[in-house]
Amino acid sequence: MTDFRIIPGDIPLPLPTMGLDFMEPFFHGLLVVAWVVHILFINVLLGASLASVYFNSKGAKEKNSVLDRVAYLLTTPVTISENMGALWGVAPLLLVSILITPLFYSASIMNSPHWLHIIYGNIAAFLLSYLYKYTWHTLEYRKSLHIFIGAVGVALFFTLPWAFMATVQLAMTPSTWTYNTHFWDVLLRSDTFFRLVHFYLATFAVTGVFMLVYGMYKRRSADATDRAAAVILTRTGKSWFIIPTVLNFFIGPLVLFSFPDYGVEAFFENGYYWLIILTVVLTLFALYQLLKDFFNDDLPPARVWTVVGVMLIAIISMASLRHGMRMGLIKPVLEASHAKTELFQKESLVAFEEAKNITKPEVVAAIHPGQALADKHGCLACHNPQIKVIGPAYKEVAAKGYSAEQIVELVHAPKPANWPGYMPMPPMPQVPAEDIKQIADWINGLK
Amino acid sequence: MFDYPIFEMPFIGHRLLFAFDAILHVFISHGAAVGGSVILVLSQWLAIKNNDHKLDELSYRILFTFFILATAVGALTGIGIWIHINIINPAAIGALLRVFFWKWFIEWVVFNIEMIFLLWWFLTWKSSPLGTPAKKKNFKLGLTYAIASWFTMAIITAILGFMMTPGNWLKSYFPAEPDYVAALFNPSWFPSLGFRTFWSIAWASAMAMLLSWLFTRNDLELRQKAMRLYGTVLLVCIPFFVLFGAWYYNQFPQAAKDLFWMGAITRRLAAHPEYATYLTVALSGMVLFGALALYTKPKRAPVFLAVMMLIGSMGLIAEFERVREFVRKPYIIYNYMYANGVRVADVPYLNKEGYLKHAAFVPPEFRQVTDANRLVAGKYLYQMQCRYCHTVNGINSMKARTKGLSEDAIYIRIGSLNSAATPFMPPFTGTDAERKALAAYLASLAQDRPAIAYEQKLIEVTK
Repeated sequence: MTDFRIIPGDIPLPLPTMGLDFMEPFFHGLLVVAWVVHILFINVLLGASLASVYFNSKGAKEKNSVLDRVAYLLTTPVTISENMGALWGVAPLLLVSILITPLFYSASIMNSPHWLHIIYGNIAAFLLSYLYKYTWHTLEYRKSLHIFIGAVGVALFFTLPWAFMATVQLAMTPSTWTYNTHFWDVLLRSDTFFRLVHFYLATFAVTGVFMLVYGMYKRRSADATDRAAAVILTRTGKSWFIIPTVLNFFIGPLVLFSFPDYGVEAFFENGYYWLIILTVVLTLFALYQLLKDFFNDDLPPARVWTVVGVMLIAIISMASLRHGMRMGLIKPVLEASHAKTELFQKESLVAFEEAKNITKPEVVAAIHPGQALADKHGCLACHNPQIKVIGPAYKEVAAKGYSAEQIVELVHAPKPANWPGYMPMPPMPQVPAEDIKQIADWINGLK
Repeated sequence: MFDYPIFEMPFIGHRLLFAFDAILHVFISHGAAVGGSVILVLSQWLAIKNNDHKLDELSYRILFTFFILATAVGALTGIGIWIHINIINPAAIGALLRVFFWKWFIEWVVFNIEMIFLLWWFLTWKSSPLGTPAKKKNFKLGLTYAIASWFTMAIITAILGFMMTPGNWLKSYFPAEPDYVAALFNPSWFPSLGFRTFWSIAWASAMAMLLSWLFTRNDLELRQKAMRLYGTVLLVCIPFFVLFGAWYYNQFPQAAKDLFWMGAITRRLAAHPEYATYLTVALSGMVLFGALALYTKPKRAPVFLAVMMLIGSMGLIAEFERVREFVRKPYIIYNYMYANGVRVADVPYLNKEGYLKHAAFVPPEFRQVTDANRLVAGKYLYQMQCRYCHTVNGINSMKARTKGLSEDAIYIRIGSLNSAATPFMPPFTGTDAERKALAAYLASLAQDRPAIAYEQKLIEVTK
């Protein structure tokens, strides 16, 4: 059993299951699906924006208008996937925030302010990608500037997964938390590093499959340049899918075994390794489908759809095994967190009831009404009748011999110059003049 | 709160960090999306009805600007509000999410519709020329987008309303049992929704007037048409949001109403509530004068007036959001949770047993105050209870607030934070020893004592 140094508390409100038992498993299922959709959009966003800049600069160098068209065609999926990617990130955020609240919040706080990069870095990258897209024709003859804009946007987009991966990875591994964990510690860990490599490679593979579909559609275009561009898309799609996928067969095990031992054990005990086998078999089948037709630029649609379908199942299977790993890693802490919160609430209830039952002691001594008013209006937060606290003692104020009217004015608009060395008093215009006159009467009676 | 790690935002503090993102979101979501969709659907409808190619083209150029703003900045700063509050006040957003999960979920589904129809409307506008059936279909896409974006605002407004006027939402404290329906239909939801709806449309019209001015430099006839159209919409909306605003104000708790004028300016100027009136009148004057001038003399009014109108509107919107956030103090969820994440009902327990005792992310050796660790313990208390609004030496700095004060004076002051002197502050929560530790730490700040350095080392060693 692993010792967890830090057990965070949970939110003391019930899960919004509407009293339905199936709701919690439903939340988990929804989380897996929404997360997959989000990641697929992000993959296409990163891959297509990089490919667009690559083909743009290649086309400019070789003065090849077909490559330029490929680059331009790729800006449409960038616009759609950056918007849909952000949108589908919201659902996982919503679900993670209620299912693993203390872990997710703690991780994002430990990684702050770097965590905010997913907002501000994203906005900057978004704006650059629009600038790149909508200046395509205006900057036609200033290609190096245009490519520079695109490249900065892509570079920014590629830094966003650092913040995401570091936070997700930290949330999943509460056994690694210390009282001083920060963003760079997490980002430079081997588990985060291998996951990032795996993610970037998958980005190329997913974009590769997307290019196969996009190329298939563009092959039917009425425009001859579009049709020529479609051939480039298909060829690129094949190699972008095949090479990174093969590499990921080697990175995958490194990711798996860089998790903390107790997580890996739970993973195997719960039989999730079957999903690894399923994923590998499906992926090998997809690879075989493409290798069979590797030199055929006119890939039959049935082949493309087979690859898409098989890979979708493989991805869902991979996402499910990941979710299994995640839950294995955090379950012990979540349970401890719930128990801790329950205990806290129980003890707090006792103190709450006690406090309710304490009756306020009757004010026995007849105090000056001015003193009661001074208490009511918060004067005594800073002033004491006899000694200096923050403001001067009231007996010193009395020594100045102000009239009641003067004191009313000074409470509403204090003159700090009268009391050098003291902290200036904030104006208290909300205190009624009548009350201040009574308070003044009390102050002036002090000795 | 004590359950979470500590993130401190130096110098600018959490409030400004949050306000920057939130106000940017309000400007763009209300202007470019909610109000913008309404006025562009209106002008597209007029273009179709009158077969007006110029108005169609102008509407498209305004939509292009709104599209870039809404998707790149509006949507992301909206998610940003969430991300910011995750790291600033996780206890509060955690509670809101538990109570409003399904509303938020529905909002997300509608957000999908909003985004898809916006993309569809915008990306097919050019390929659906006037006079073809495709144009009518395109118009319906815009209409759907407008309805969906209003709906997303309606739900978020319910959550904002809940924070100020939660109504009878809690059936019991221990265990906390929310009444989800009561939370949704909280007293300020409808008035604040009406208020936001109408000023969104007015604000979008102001934006559209400035953009129209810029896009019609060679076509004064078109400019006149656009100014009359958007100017009418703007002027018609004003009485509506004023009325809804009054109804909304009426729902505020009395304590919030009392803080109203202080929220409208800064505390330093609290002696002069009339300044808030001057400011509001001046900003409203900028908007009204600009709008009327552009409306009556569209061909002659300089662009300066449109810019002035825009600045005035932004000032009013920022002012409103600041007041709304300020007057809710000392709570983040009224009567339930203080601004620093402490649940009101937990205060007696924390006062009795100690606040640090439960602090999961504070090393165990600092969870009990001793003579040896009191400065560091005090620092942790500052970080967990005060840094929501204060910084060490930046905005609203503790150093300036405690300058020249003795430890005893600070100790006494900490005991009456939530008094009439500072009704917007939550009370200090913790035992007497903890209160002394906080006073000791703040006094060390006030006097620039280096003593903390030694104890700080202790943390480094024990990490």
